Amino acid sequence: MTDNKIYFKFDGKKYGGNKGDTIASALLRNNVKLVGRSFKYHRPRGIYTCGIEEPNALVQIINEHNEPNVRATVKKIYEGMVVKSQNRWPSLKRDFGSVNNLLSPIFSAGFYYKTFMGPKGFWKNLYEPLIRRTAGLGKPPREFKSKSTHLHHNVDILIVGGGLSGLLAAKKLAGTNKDVLLIERENELGGILKNSNKVKSINDQEALEWLEKTERLLKNSANIKILKNTTVTTYNYSNHLTAIEDRLVGIEPDNKKPELILHKIRTENTILANGHIERFLSFRNNDLPGVMLAASFEKYVQRYGVVPDNNPVIFTNNSSTFSLLKLLIDRNCMPKAYVDVRDVKKIERETLDLLEAHNIPFYPKSEVEGCDGNNEIKKISLRTKKNKIIKIKASMLCVSGGINPDIHLFTQSKGLVKWDEKILTFKPEKSFQKTITLGSVSGNFIFKKIIDEVSQKLNFIDGANDLDLKIEVNGSEEFNIKEIWETKNNKKSLWSKSFIDLQNDVTTKDLTQAIKEGFDRIEHLKRFTTNSMGTDQGKISSINALGIVSKLLKKSVSEVGTTTYRPPYNPVSFSAIAGRSTYEFYDPERKTPIHPWHLKHNAVFEDVGQWKRPWYYKKFENETMNEAVQRESKQVRESAGILDGSTLGKIEIKGKDALEFVNMMYTNSFTKMSPMSAKYALMLGEDGMVKDDGIVCKINDNHFITTTTSGGAANVLSHMEEFAQTEWPNLNVYLNSITEQFATFNISGPKSRIILSRVFNNIDFSNHKFPYMTFNTFDYLNYKVRILRASFTGEKGYEIYVPPKYALTLWERIFYYSRDVDLVPYGTETMHLLRAEKGYIIVGQETDGTVTPLDLNLNWMIGKKKKDFIGKRSLTRSDIIKGDRKQLVGLIPLDKSYGIEEGQHVIEDKNIPSQIDKPIKMLGHVTSSYFSPTLNHSIAMALIKGGNRKIGSQIYVSTSNMNVIPVEVVKPNFLDPENKRLLS
Amino acid sequence: MTRTFSGDGIYIAQRDFQQILLRGKGDGRFAETVNGEISLLPPKDNLRMISNENFLFAKQSFDQWSLICLKNKDDEELSKIINTMNSNDELLASDCSYGQVYFEFSGDKMKDYLNKLTHFDFRSKKFPPLTIAQTLIARIDCTIYNLEDKYLITCNKSYEDYFKKRLQDTIDL
Amino acid sequence: MLLIKCPYCGERDQSEFTNGGEAHVTRPKNPELETDRGWAEYVFIRSNPKGIYYERWVHSHGCKKWFNAVRNTSTDEILLSYKIGETPPPIKKFQNRLKSPSGEPDVGSGNFAVKKP
Repeated sequence: MTDNKIYFKFDGKKYGGNKGDTIASALLRNNVKLVGRSFKYHRPRGIYTCGIEEPNALVQIINEHNEPNVRATVKKIYEGMVVKSQNRWPSLKRDFGSVNNLLSPIFSAGFYYKTFMGPKGFWKNLYEPLIRRTAGLGKPPREFKSKSTHLHHNVDILIVGGGLSGLLAAKKLAGTNKDVLLIERENELGGILKNSNKVKSINDQEALEWLEKTERLLKNSANIKILKNTTVTTYNYSNHLTAIEDRLVGIEPDNKKPELILHKIRTENTILANGHIERFLSFRNNDLPGVMLAASFEKYVQRYGVVPDNNPVIFTNNSSTFSLLKLLIDRNCMPKAYVDVRDVKKIERETLDLLEAHNIPFYPKSEVEGCDGNNEIKKISLRTKKNKIIKIKASMLCVSGGINPDIHLFTQSKGLVKWDEKILTFKPEKSFQKTITLGSVSGNFIFKKIIDEVSQKLNFIDGANDLDLKIEVNGSEEFNIKEIWETKNNKKSLWSKSFIDLQNDVTTKDLTQAIKEGFDRIEHLKRFTTNSMGTDQGKISSINALGIVSKLLKKSVSEVGTTTYRPPYNPVSFSAIAGRSTYEFYDPERKTPIHPWHLKHNAVFEDVGQWKRPWYYKKFENETMNEAVQRESKQVRESAGILDGSTLGKIEIKGKDALEFVNMMYTNSFTKMSPMSAKYALMLGEDGMVKDDGIVCKINDNHFITTTTSGGAANVLSHMEEFAQTEWPNLNVYLNSITEQFATFNISGPKSRIILSRVFNNIDFSNHKFPYMTFNTFDYLNYKVRILRASFTGEKGYEIYVPPKYALTLWERIFYYSRDVDLVPYGTETMHLLRAEKGYIIVGQETDGTVTPLDLNLNWMIGKKKKDFIGKRSLTRSDIIKGDRKQLVGLIPLDKSYGIEEGQHVIEDKNIPSQIDKPIKMLGHVTSSYFSPTLNHSIAMALIKGGNRKIGSQIYVSTSNMNVIPVEVVKPNFLDPENKRLLS
Repeated sequence: MTRTFSGDGIYIAQRDFQQILLRGKGDGRFAETVNGEISLLPPKDNLRMISNENFLFAKQSFDQWSLICLKNKDDEELSKIINTMNSNDELLASDCSYGQVYFEFSGDKMKDYLNKLTHFDFRSKKFPPLTIAQTLIARIDCTIYNLEDKYLITCNKSYEDYFKKRLQDTIDL
Repeated sequence: MLLIKCPYCGERDQSEFTNGGEAHVTRPKNPELETDRGWAEYVFIRSNPKGIYYERWVHSHGCKKWFNAVRNTSTDEILLSYKIGETPPPIKKFQNRLKSPSGEPDVGSGNFAVKKP
């Protein structure tokens, strides 16, 4: 490259900008004024502001992230950046949708609500697709590629804003024992000192010289941390704020480094020094490219060295435009005219002197009636104090309608605001949290008073420094403003519009119409007209709307009130919110000690809670899930199978009152149970509904180990802890989760005993020595294993508990000893099938929080002699003992070749009418359904009304293709009801 | 076995320790039983941690203590200690030696690094040396032992792969 | 994100806690003697006021201990937390900082953000 320019493309055309340029400043440098089309009417729009408040200049960046709705006034350019305008078709200059502008009578306030009401079906098929094509903003990226990160801060004081007030606050705190975080939105500190020439000197130093020295001082203060390019977007309760940092300012994203960092800040005190936003004014065609806010014009000149126009017209109602006037004159750019709404007597001396000295056309007590031009301003029309219309040829109009303290964050913090008649705006009145406002955000527009304000408000902080400073300003110190919201205009054609919300294309006429239609409460009016509901949230215009409405309603602005300011202050990218919790880190993953073996043996995994569990194992490449499950199930029943059950929750319970506690937690009775035996147990909530199930192992009356479902482990422990801690703190009982301390293998099948006898050859596994539902701990090699005779398949089975360190070796050893026995590893799907054949329930599949043990016919699990347990009383509530509750039954299709679908409705009637005009009577639903390879037909379980009474009868199950399958209702136990296999 | 991660100002080493989780009142009999086994009295103040060359002993809440064996014992010896402790029926001692993983964090940027993964306030006025804290790091439950110039952080073993991937990812980004 | 004080671990981020509903709802001593209605009062019925509320929290991602807290449900401020077994402070001790005739807070919400000069 031969020059220092940075080249980028806008709508296919190449432009050069300077380092540090925003898209907007670079476009203005190249004299590009038309940058987009508006939301509803597709009107040409230009660059209105120079910062975060921009309503118009939204563009799409074409790159890896394809970011839509980027503010051209904020985003910095990088070499090779590709920028496109939005909302135009086929091109920006000739836009087809701008006919909407001529159809505008139908697009008035509330048009969505009124226009697209009927006929039926038109919304979905016609209106919505049409509106989506023509209205709206940029296109969202198709894929989520950015890697954003989060960063947490815990500080004593957060300062929002590194302008003059923020810097003074930081200076006051430098070197104290407070941890301070200073956040600045721009890439440089300084705020107003950088944006304008308003401050002449501080302590007899030039403003920028003082800024440089102060920044150096702050950087050398160990207690102060500064974040730039960072915007605070949210102010939550408990002084918790979030901010977005752009890490790639002026750099192309590369997906290896984060583009955005979401800062989450917890602070003791928050200092809001986030300044003010200039507001606009409504007049005819106040949206035409070439209209720009006065302070923004100044900022372009001061910060970026771009003069957007050499001879603009200045239109103001307040004293703040003095600095723009001075700036232009200093640069020998004479304004075409200075139009001030105020009477000449009210206008400050300094302004009058300048105007007179440089002979600038001056129109006091006058206003801009409107402006004209096709894609940008050509002529500006003024109404002078004598009600005469004068036309001035000019290409730019700088507008100032007053200054609003940026109270967005303050109100998010639940602070109270108050209308100030002197400065004609809302300003903070009373903090709700530990929030301090400083400078213009507190409504203090007078620089000399800022030092006193900072000193006074921060004096409560121990060791705060004294600020011995003197500020000199250019122009008048006082702020003076005259109320005006909209100028009187001469409507010429349909094209003539006076806007109140530029981004959402809301006109002042829409406000009038909404009030006429009865939407006179400001929150209603906002929603009906969509005023201030764009991505800019009406930053330059929402107060103006209140002003106009107050006039229409003949009320004061305080009576009208303001709408609620909601977070975020500024649009936040979803990628920043998601942070790293995407793709591989979407949810933390838990793996069992056997995981590597599962991987090696082509397991397909299922998520159970956060656990990765083998769902089924692919024996060969093309084996389907169904094939694998049928194969695995058959093999378990014919020889033996092994399941990795390490994910089961395990809880160790101990204490003098452990027995009493366990008796309260489960429905079963454990009192007479002999030591070293186990019981299948049910846990209920106080409402009597099944909460969890598991096996309770009793070591002795003071010591138990229980298992829980894999997904329910944390909940069960917390449920137990809740009662132990809050209801019965006097019970001597302690609970520890030992889920992770043991890997668990379930071996079941006719040959399971042979396998275990080979692996643990010193243990007698005979029925006599090791009966069903007993357990023991054994020394094995150099460690201990606990073996429990239990089964979830209905086959003879054993559960082995082993420390995770030795688990994989033992697992492989078991396979080594089973070479000739045909041991099959099986996954959760086969487990579900096998237990369904036996009618064993799965909590969360057969139950859904509305199912009692009685509904499941598990009455035998309820300790009848127990006086009390959690949920017992609920089991005798009138609604629970009703006979026609849904009860668990088995279903077998009459035609055994049919399969039943899980989740289908169970109905009494054979015929489903072709035209369904009233609900079909539903008996219940299918909870589980499988094809049993052992029985060679489908089996299903269902919860149906009065199911117990229907055993033996014929009912119907719906199918997904609007058919029904006739089924027979049976007891939910399809295989070996005598439990011969289990107990053999 | 030991794997280390390192980046700018952050050094992480994985360690193998054994650990016992103790529950009980912490009163005379409890302390006696524990002291009899490991010659160390359980700390009395909540969140306090004491240590000698063999053990880290921390009070996690009013009725729970974590005991980390810094020098590996053989399994038999450890299970003997646990069994003897458990013979006091007002005390529950659970072995969690192999159900936990241990990471030692050091380096001058370790707090900034960790704050990319957790909201926890590491400032010494909120988290003084020789205390412990249980909190969320990378969205999983962890315990942090503040050893002044380094932190020992433990989590459940099932999260080991996930946690290590997050640690590496945070270094990379 | 609220900052909640666990009586055992100190102030922590809300993400470490789980809310456990109304506090000081005692389980009947003899459930079998309760009428259906009496039992339902214990299991299902909660006071759910707008304003000062006693509720239980558990430090689920910390020490896993339950404790009680006083929260203002209209502003979400947690005013106090105390251990299980400790006597709850009288409700009069807490002043609702947000008062207005219509029930909406006079501070910081919509139309009510505005105070007449």
